Amino acid sequence: MKVGVFICHCGNNIAGTVDVARVAEETRKIPGVAYAINYMYTCSEPGQDQIKDAIKKYDLDRIVVAACSPRMHELTFRRTVEKAGLNRYYFEMANIREHCSWIGEDRELNTNKAMEAVRAAVAKVMQDKPLYSSSFAVNKRVLVIGGGVAGMQAALDCADGGHEVVLVEKSPSVGGMMARLDKTFPTIDCSICILGPKMVDVAQHDLIKLYAYSEVEEVKGYVGNYQIKIRKKATYVDWTKCTGCGECMEKCPSKDAYDSFNFGVAPTKAINIPFPQAIPKKAKIDPTYCRQFTKGKCGVCAKICPTKAINYEMEDEIVTEEVGAIVVASGYGLLDIEKMGEYGGGRYPDVITAIQYERLLNASGPTSGHIVRPSDHEEPKTVVFVSCCGSRDKSIGVPYCSNFCCMYIAKQAILTKDHMPDSQSYVFYMDIRSPGKGYDEFTRRAQEEYGTKYIRGRVSRIFPKGKKMVVRGADTLLGTTVEIEADLVVLANAVTAAPGAPQLAEKLHISYDTNAFYVESHPKLRPVETNTSGVFLAGCAQGPKDIPASVGQGSAAAAKVLSMLSKDFLENDPAIAQVNQNACVGCLKCVKTCPFQAIVEEELRGGKVVAKVIQTVCAGCGVCTSTCPCGAIQLQHFTDNQLLAEVNALCLS
Amino acid sequence: MNAQELRKAAKEVLPSVDVVIGQRAGFDPLHAEPCFATKPEDVDDFIASPLCVHNLASYLPSLKGKKVAVVVKGCDSRTVVQFLEEGLIKRENVTVIGVPCSGIISVKKVLERVSHEPIQSISFDNETVTVKTNKREEKIPLLEVAPGKCTTCQYPNPLIFDVLVGQKLEPRGSAEAVYDDIREFETKSLEERKEYWEKTLGRCIRCYACRNACPLCVCQESCIAETRDPHWMSQKDDPKEKMTFHMIHAIHLAGRCTECGECERVCPMDIPLGQLKKKINMGMKELYDYVPGINPEEKPPMYVFKVEEDKIEEHELS
Repeated sequence: MKVGVFICHCGNNIAGTVDVARVAEETRKIPGVAYAINYMYTCSEPGQDQIKDAIKKYDLDRIVVAACSPRMHELTFRRTVEKAGLNRYYFEMANIREHCSWIGEDRELNTNKAMEAVRAAVAKVMQDKPLYSSSFAVNKRVLVIGGGVAGMQAALDCADGGHEVVLVEKSPSVGGMMARLDKTFPTIDCSICILGPKMVDVAQHDLIKLYAYSEVEEVKGYVGNYQIKIRKKATYVDWTKCTGCGECMEKCPSKDAYDSFNFGVAPTKAINIPFPQAIPKKAKIDPTYCRQFTKGKCGVCAKICPTKAINYEMEDEIVTEEVGAIVVASGYGLLDIEKMGEYGGGRYPDVITAIQYERLLNASGPTSGHIVRPSDHEEPKTVVFVSCCGSRDKSIGVPYCSNFCCMYIAKQAILTKDHMPDSQSYVFYMDIRSPGKGYDEFTRRAQEEYGTKYIRGRVSRIFPKGKKMVVRGADTLLGTTVEIEADLVVLANAVTAAPGAPQLAEKLHISYDTNAFYVESHPKLRPVETNTSGVFLAGCAQGPKDIPASVGQGSAAAAKVLSMLSKDFLENDPAIAQVNQNACVGCLKCVKTCPFQAIVEEELRGGKVVAKVIQTVCAGCGVCTSTCPCGAIQLQHFTDNQLLAEVNALCLS
Repeated sequence: MNAQELRKAAKEVLPSVDVVIGQRAGFDPLHAEPCFATKPEDVDDFIASPLCVHNLASYLPSLKGKKVAVVVKGCDSRTVVQFLEEGLIKRENVTVIGVPCSGIISVKKVLERVSHEPIQSISFDNETVTVKTNKREEKIPLLEVAPGKCTTCQYPNPLIFDVLVGQKLEPRGSAEAVYDDIREFETKSLEERKEYWEKTLGRCIRCYACRNACPLCVCQESCIAETRDPHWMSQKDDPKEKMTFHMIHAIHLAGRCTECGECERVCPMDIPLGQLKKKINMGMKELYDYVPGINPEEKPPMYVFKVEEDKIEEHELS
């Protein structure tokens, strides 16, 4: 066995604090190492050529590169050794940058650690076995989770690319948050007017199959071959018959149902269609308010329905769809303002959230676009906006900026003046974040043309005084406290991950951060991929972002899906679990612990029961290998013997 | 424990099964041995006394496919339950004849008491053991010559049975006291404990009797201690290798060991192997609120993949 070791300077990244020449010199003394050299940039073309030349010249059969993290260049070098005629798994990477040179300044210690890392990698590479991928067919259908603007964009782009799309939306209509907005910044164009055509496109596209009021129940399978169980929640209305005429909604005697589309600004009927432009425009019954369910008798809607679509006996239905790729665009949630006790959120009717205010501004909202105070339905003359309500506040558990509040506050202030020219708006802000195209001009217009008074400081308390709400805060520019007697207070409450986001992530086997936003594969270079191949991200599920960014990401995710689906076959990663049938005792502990259900029971001829790995389902996580008591199941490329060789090399040195 | 009643019960069960496993008198008055009864006359050999030290449940997984009736004490019954939890046996193939037990003897302890003189007879009265050798007769309280598990026995009555022979009994002492010995040992310093185990496990001759007798060791001859692939340990005769073997065995039993004590009973070098497993069980109780071999419907914590453990904080689901 002849091992070649290439030690990279990475410019000064490694050579700055590691004596690379000494590492090479010491490496030459390791038994089995036939060649070792240090080089400026091993990942460069001449660097790779050097590896290929050395393989030929010195007849090397195993290669170690001591450089950066394998997450950066493992694939690069695997291809290099493969081009030189070796199996791509006859290659190991020792991370002497992230693990050594970048973490300490002591040259001596770093050099020693680098040598140890190389020794371990050499020991491992000498145990490596050649591995070969197998290829499997790809299902070219796409699942999009979430029918907001990002999800719709992804669905439309994938469908336009010629692929069947299954679009699953949790609520009864597509449209998401954008469908609730009145106008959009910075152009003040009507939100539903620009979103409506997209919603109609989704409904009319031959290749898009829409499951509204449905949720993803279970995700099984792997990239290219997913089986998705979708729960179609009971609407108690047969949507194949419902024409969306709305007569049921008109006659329904139960008038105090919570209207989640309007965020509770006004009650709705127990049977309702969320909004006039809803897609699909179908009615659904809310059983917590419907008299047929709460009192056991009523049946008005069933009597009135011209198509006899009402079915009180309806139950949830589970359907299975098979897809090859998944786009997750599950959107965001909003901070419960009851967490902001000092702002009186939830206690005072005239302290509302910005999305509720948006519904008051909206012509199709419950007040037909007339701004009124929730307490007495009078027009407010003084409106105070509080930005960063929860955002950038660690004590609330929201350390991040919610991204688009500064912009919609400016928009809402402008609209307030438009609706009520004699009104005065105030904005409490920490700083104005308006870096987008035309954004800063827009916030300036709110101040300069619309006379909105911006007060730099935070609000400490909001309390009632007669019919008014007193907003007490600091003006840090003047260095004083201010009190404003407002008729209405609008809180820009923080954007949070969508309710149920972690649970969905667990189903999809994708990671999420401490705030439950989904984690992209690389924050700069792989912004829509996840670490689970075949699952892509779009919109606010990945982090708060405004409409243009969400739409852009929707299209980006679709582009990634389309490039993946342009192949008829995908190659699997051979670094997966494998069972040694001779050693397997058939306790089947691995079957029970496998997080991916990738292991099944198999009866051999003669009746011996053993475990069997389904190659394409195995994700190579290694849970089974630590579970197996007799070491019969081994993760290829990370077998016990390979890891023990590394450990022994480290312990003996 | 009443042998007559047991024989009667076993005879009633016998026609519906392939074999009834009980215990009969062995080569000397002190030793009992397992008895596989397939005919009614075999059953007449069955005994029921503190001499019945074997955990007969151990045989169940190897008799897969047969209808088996097995006589179990309270502690043995936990093994049956654990087999069911792990899916190693099928309930419908097993008939459990339960015998409440007030304690058994430790052969090693009895022999020690009589200076290893040949035993001529042994008899039991209430909780007193009368041992006769050719030189003397000694009356000993049973608990003084019982294995450690009996002194704090919480499960004198079988937890699972189809037929119960005899009256139910009360547990000995409080449940908290079960782990007192482990807690006491833990008051020692790390060095003292290390020294103790190195010395104690250094006696091991790697005969693997503990492993072979363990009802829950599923690997047996496929043991990681005897294979080169993966090569976790060598055959070298040194304390490190011995310790590695015993630690691996203990870890493999995490959340599985029912503390039946077979490993200790069969150890020719008298190594207190049960202590290691007890210590792990104590941790399993704290971390997972799980006690092995109690409820056949339960899932052992090491047999499921859970993203979030209830008591281990990694990250929180909101």
